[in-house]
Amino acid sequence: MSDPKIDGFELKPGFRGMASDTGSDQTMFKGVHWGKAMMWIFLLSDTFVFSCFLIAYMKGRGSTPVEWPNPSEVFALEAFGVPVPLLLIALMTFVLITSSGTMALAVKYGYEKNRKMCGWLVLATAIGGLTFVGMQAYEWSKLIHEGVRPWENPFGAAQFGSFFFMITGFHGTHVSIGVIFLFIYAYKVFAGHYENGGKRGWFTTMKGDYVEIEILGLYWHFVDLVWVFIFAFFYLW
Amino acid sequence: MSDEYENKSGYQAQSSEALTGSAGSTPDMDYVRPAELPEQDLYHGHTFLTKWVFCQDAKVIGVQYFLTAVFTGIVGLILSWLMRLQLGFPGLAGFITAEHYYQFVTMHGMIMVVYFLTALFLGGFGNYLIPLMVGARDMVFPYVNMLSFWMFFVAVAVLMASFFVPGGPTGAGWTLYPPQTILEGTPGSGMGILLMLVSLALFVIGFTMGGLNYMITVLQARTRGMTLMRMPLTVWGIFTATVLAMLAFPALLVSAIMMTLDKVIGTSFFMPTILKAGEVLEYGGGSPILFQHLFWFFGHPEVYIVALPAFGIVSDLISVHARKNIFGYRMMVWAIVGIGALSFFVWAHHMYVSGMNPWFGFFFATTTLIIAVPTAMKVYNWILTLWRGNIRINTVMLWCLGFIVTFVNGGITGIFLGNVSVDVPLSDTYFVVAHFHMVMGIAPVMVIMGAVYHWFPLITGRLLNETLGKWHFWATFLGAYSIYFPMHYLGFIGVPRRYYEMYDSPYMTSAVGMNEFISLAAFLVGAAQFILIFNIIKTLKTGKPSPKNPWKANSLEWHTSTQPPEHGNFGERLPVVHRWPYDFSVPGAKDDFIPQTTPPSEVAHTKVEKT
Amino acid sequence: MDDTNQINEKDKKSQESTHKIGIYLWIWGLLFVLSFFSYMVDWYQFQGMLRWSLILFFMFAKAGLIMAFFMHLFWERYALVNVLLWPMTAIACFVFLMAAEFEYTLFSRMFYFFVGGGV
Repeated sequence: MSDPKIDGFELKPGFRGMASDTGSDQTMFKGVHWGKAMMWIFLLSDTFVFSCFLIAYMKGRGSTPVEWPNPSEVFALEAFGVPVPLLLIALMTFVLITSSGTMALAVKYGYEKNRKMCGWLVLATAIGGLTFVGMQAYEWSKLIHEGVRPWENPFGAAQFGSFFFMITGFHGTHVSIGVIFLFIYAYKVFAGHYENGGKRGWFTTMKGDYVEIEILGLYWHFVDLVWVFIFAFFYLW
Repeated sequence: MSDEYENKSGYQAQSSEALTGSAGSTPDMDYVRPAELPEQDLYHGHTFLTKWVFCQDAKVIGVQYFLTAVFTGIVGLILSWLMRLQLGFPGLAGFITAEHYYQFVTMHGMIMVVYFLTALFLGGFGNYLIPLMVGARDMVFPYVNMLSFWMFFVAVAVLMASFFVPGGPTGAGWTLYPPQTILEGTPGSGMGILLMLVSLALFVIGFTMGGLNYMITVLQARTRGMTLMRMPLTVWGIFTATVLAMLAFPALLVSAIMMTLDKVIGTSFFMPTILKAGEVLEYGGGSPILFQHLFWFFGHPEVYIVALPAFGIVSDLISVHARKNIFGYRMMVWAIVGIGALSFFVWAHHMYVSGMNPWFGFFFATTTLIIAVPTAMKVYNWILTLWRGNIRINTVMLWCLGFIVTFVNGGITGIFLGNVSVDVPLSDTYFVVAHFHMVMGIAPVMVIMGAVYHWFPLITGRLLNETLGKWHFWATFLGAYSIYFPMHYLGFIGVPRRYYEMYDSPYMTSAVGMNEFISLAAFLVGAAQFILIFNIIKTLKTGKPSPKNPWKANSLEWHTSTQPPEHGNFGERLPVVHRWPYDFSVPGAKDDFIPQTTPPSEVAHTKVEKT
Repeated sequence: MDDTNQINEKDKKSQESTHKIGIYLWIWGLLFVLSFFSYMVDWYQFQGMLRWSLILFFMFAKAGLIMAFFMHLFWERYALVNVLLWPMTAIACFVFLMAAEFEYTLFSRMFYFFVGGGV
């Protein structure tokens, strides 16, 4: 990118750019929509929430003298009569990454003002999210059926169930909220709330704009991001 | 390529009158680059409900926050009276049982730290002052801001409700350490603790909504010419505290969720195997230390969430009332930011005697002592600001001076407690109580008082009575020292904190008289606060109207079109900022202050610094 | 009519300035591949340091790709990137210290519950 300008202010790249952005008046994040900046800061805060959960999990799992259940066996699923380790989890990861990809494309088509394409992709993302929530519900019911409870489980340390239900539950709540918003925004895209200067939204006096799809996308990618960490620490450890 | 930015973000630049200056080939010294963003649309309320209750004006929200926080503060004050009544004159008030005493201690601590000081500084002063001081029409998302207050209101309601549930509020100490917090036998271990945890979670959610607003307003909605290094230190303090809160409250939320699960569905995150009356409880395998780490990962930044806004506000007050620019402005800013950053690396100095990994003592003592460096820099700078200043000894300045003395006192005892070997014998004694009340109780409250006397004319258009103000100050200042100075001594002779009664312990006899004295002082100091309330009511009714900008300050909040400012703050057009807010007593200038909006050409002949 | 011309031009420009679809598809594919590899870590039951380094490597690679390209952080200005990434040092510190803490808790539990720490 060559040096773009924003209203009489030269946008330098790299750390020089950071210095001049920080030293400038009016805005620090040049060209970043208020809502987008807000979502980023919120996600930063939310990152700390999930980090605290995972740190607590690390502390709990690391310090227990009772044997920790082997996730590879606990989460195995029978396929064609053979137990495949982590099969459901692999599928869930697949679904979530797929939905993340469709979301990224939705953002791209949104900025290109391609209403139809953007709307369908947001809808696809919502359906992907819904599938994920469904699979998680199945996983939960399977574990509960096997006797895993938040306060005890037949495989080993009681904290296994506690942390599992709490962390995946908290993540699942995030996904569910995301799915609700995805459906709402799919409707908003199709209804043309972002066309012709935009329609006034709720919670704000600002006019609608396709940047909202990017803001929603940030949230959705964050949910995917958290899953990457949960997948690594919960299922692979 | 500039189009990319415009399109992406969906706003278009308004470059109407601003560009005229730069058009010619001669550089115009008054040039400020044009606005990046269009004017903010504001929702103006029409009915009583939208104007005063569910109002979206940050100033009204700020006052709502302020009043709610003061209400909780008065509850906390009354609780402290009851505690002192028991400690000074055990058995005099028969209704105070040991259980009640613990509940008072807990609720007093939690209310004062979270619901009073945090809400008052960030919610109250933050909402009122941030948009005015950075030159914004309002917070960036007024609707969310309104929700933030009402969420806080519900949190307070839930907290207060816990006084009336069976078993009463929790009595586990404000730190809520498990396992005893949720075990039977601790007062309020039933509904009380549950409501406390729910209230904290609501507070965090509400605060997140407000905090996002404060941060984005400071970062993305400043007026033309307002660079970060031209912001008043008040804004810097509140902003940095908000950043800390956004990153620290998650730990509180997580620990509240985990403890709720322990309490309600019987998980054992924090609960070890426990024998009770010979029987093993259902809990087992949890780690109480984990809670302490999570709690203090929130708790230590929380100390600075309270302290940093006070630092910022007091810097402004001192500068204005000593008619002198703040000494080392940039150093002050970096000290605030540095203290904020460091505060995330010191939390376990609250846990030296908890049984954590013994190596941690070294790490945390080191980081704790490092944090004294930027803090001391700030103290020096306040003193150097006063040095040879044109000091006006009015009520505001008295509070500021009181703050500096008190803060130095509390800070020095902090250095004692930061060292492991000194902390171990002093831990859980009245020395600790004296330390933290001095440093994060009395000192910030003094700043709040100063700020109230300073900004009251802005908010209501009337000046508070100076005589009453001085009585209020001296009663509070001398009284607070009568309370907390003896407490240091009590700590040294080993009186433990959180004890309901000392009974007849022989080594306590020397403490009896002192306890009575402290209690009497505490009653007086508490009562003295009602001078302020009386003063406010009297002033609202018959006080003398304030002239515009009564203190002759430079920052934008005093240069609004009307005083008090109306919704939208600045009337027809937003101010354009040319300088920092500290140009006082500039040699050669007509007045002894140069407002931030004065263009350089008007003061070209003076020896004003380029800022 | 002047106005309409401008809008058209802007639309055209914004189309140019969004990122090519290829890059999204590439990242998408890479994410699948990396997920597959991290799944294989469990499939082949690698243990010990090898397992841990592989898990962490794939995890950070995936997280980095999502943040950099899907969340557009790679194209954002450094001011935003730095504001978002520096606070992570606090988390890193918390993680390292808690790692040391759980070792110690485990040690003291083993020592006092099983070995018998004596007085």
